Amino acid sequence: MATDKELSDFLKSVEKRAWKRAVYAVRDEDAALDIVQDAMIRLSEKYIDRPAAELPLLFQRIVSNATMDWFRRQKVRNAVVRNFSDFEGAAGGDGDFDILETLEALGSSLEHESAADSVSRAQILQLVDAQVAQLPARQREAFLLRYWEELDVAETAASMGCSEGSVKTHCSRAVHALAKALRAKGIGT
Amino acid sequence: MTTSARIFGPAAREAMESRFARTIAARLSERAENVAPEIGERLRFAREKAVAAGRLARSGAEVQGAGDGSAILGLSRSVWWQRIATVLPLAALVAGLALIEDWQTRSQISVAAEVDAALLSDDLPINAYSDPGFVEYLKARPGE
Repeated sequence: MATDKELSDFLKSVEKRAWKRAVYAVRDEDAALDIVQDAMIRLSEKYIDRPAAELPLLFQRIVSNATMDWFRRQKVRNAVVRNFSDFEGAAGGDGDFDILETLEALGSSLEHESAADSVSRAQILQLVDAQVAQLPARQREAFLLRYWEELDVAETAASMGCSEGSVKTHCSRAVHALAKALRAKGIGT
Repeated sequence: MTTSARIFGPAAREAMESRFARTIAARLSERAENVAPEIGERLRFAREKAVAAGRLARSGAEVQGAGDGSAILGLSRSVWWQRIATVLPLAALVAGLALIEDWQTRSQISVAAEVDAALLSDDLPINAYSDPGFVEYLKARPGE
């Protein structure tokens, strides 16, 4: 059973990322706060008897479910699904390996301050944030869970309710879409 | 297949994707840490509320757990007392009825025995009361 301190420390470590994930999904900061608060309370009330080590995966699932609940309440889920399905059809096909060639260069430029040659660091962060926000919903969810929340492929698949193969596909497409978008904005060129 | 596709095998490609993704994730973390103070404050409030809810749920579970043990014992006791309270009056009633019946039987036997004893101990033989001549004798005697 997680103690108060373990629970508080855990929530403190994930709350900002969870809020940002919710903002990406619902595009509304206040609604995202409600979702995160709802998820925190659900975790505390229903899973307080679980060991602290299980909290991260449980919390990610609860945040995902709370976000879906929000969409259900807003009755716009179908529109969102339709929108990101349209995106998914277009992503990942064109110039696959051309983008791959630029991945290392892009990664290097983002890792070092020299990337601020043409734009400031804050602008780069804002640009990265905006491009992640524009990813199709499932790609973004897979990307954030896998690389931001550092879940493994199986945990990401469990959290998203899809297969591990789908997670890999979503992540790969997200990486390529981000690389392409950032390159188009002049980062990494 | 392009030249780069031949150069980068699946493993190398995956490694590059992973490296790039983690770089992006690091930038997202950097940006997420600098949320507006108001957002940070509301998240802190939400966290404290959740911890309080967790504390309440934990103490509730403990009280319920402890309550379950005492409830089992309490329920057992109350059931026993209920059974005793139900059976005792019935047993008393049955015993009382049995005593009354016994007393009545004994008193009837006692009365019959007294009558029998009185008749048997009398000077006059018991058959005399059924003799018509003796009856006439008794009727003729009051004048004496």
